[in-house]
Amino acid sequence: MKWVEELRRLLRKVGREKPMEEAPGGIPCEEAAARTFEWLDGELDAELEAKVGAHLETCARCYPMLLFEQSFREAVARVASDEKAPDELRDRIMDSLEEEGYTAPGASRG
Amino acid sequence: MTRSTARDRSFEDEALPLMDAVYRFALRLSKNPDRAQDLTQDTFLRAYQNWEKYTPGTQAKSWLFTICRNLFLRREERKKRHDEIVTSVADKDPRQISREATVFMAVRDRDPEGEFWRQMVDEEVLSAIDALPGEFREAVVLSDLEDMSYQEISEITDAPVGTVKSRLFRGRRILQERLYEYATEQGIVQATASGDATGARETLE
Repeated sequence: MKWVEELRRLLRKVGREKPMEEAPGGIPCEEAAARTFEWLDGELDAELEAKVGAHLETCARCYPMLLFEQSFREAVARVASDEKAPDELRDRIMDSLEEEGYTAPGASRG
Repeated sequence: MTRSTARDRSFEDEALPLMDAVYRFALRLSKNPDRAQDLTQDTFLRAYQNWEKYTPGTQAKSWLFTICRNLFLRREERKKRHDEIVTSVADKDPRQISREATVFMAVRDRDPEGEFWRQMVDEEVLSAIDALPGEFREAVVLSDLEDMSYQEISEITDAPVGTVKSRLFRGRRILQERLYEYATEQGIVQATASGDATGARETLE
């Protein structure tokens, strides 16, 4: 009787659904979840940013997801910092620029 | 040596400090240190030759990245007719690339706050980024590694902001799934009975 269980599940879900004004930030979880990346990237307009922020930070269901996405982003951003252009590349570039007529204003290469 | 010093000074102030950033971008585009070095050198040469076209005080980084990407694409084009950036995802079913947080769904009972991301080795994250299809890779690199806005990425990659967003979000999801697989293999995260991240789709409400 799989369909009976499914019906029960759906009824439970409907009963659990809060009216819009009670939802944190005034937006449903689905919308907040869909906008999490944009919120983390600082790409939402002020009004949406406030709503999504209020939701993500106060909703018991969404807050862990926010932390999860946040530490994922940090793990990715972490790999960015260490890589430097190798010294020999720096020299090569300066040499080729000088061939083009570039003179380092400070006279010395820093 | 009759070039104006002011020109050289502004190049020194605005372009040269971005050498590391351009090199990193070139490295992520080409996935090859030798090619990345050539690309970086040629980018700076091209930038210097065309420095009049740059408006001082605007986004020098975006400008240099655009030059770098154009050089890269032109070379790729020359190398093979259908380069990865152009065709990588065109033939894939977009529905197969989820925008949903399936990895979160998969681990939320065991590690809801994503503690395992902190234990992830940098090299693994980098190689997962390098394994992304070109369009997704450049969106992720420009946003997450170079901290650029959607608008800037849209200008550099010559794609609408909506497309940038979609590539970025899907790129991140692919990255999450790959890294989650790795974390499970390494025992950083305990595997579930149901297995991979896609299995977690069932638990979506």
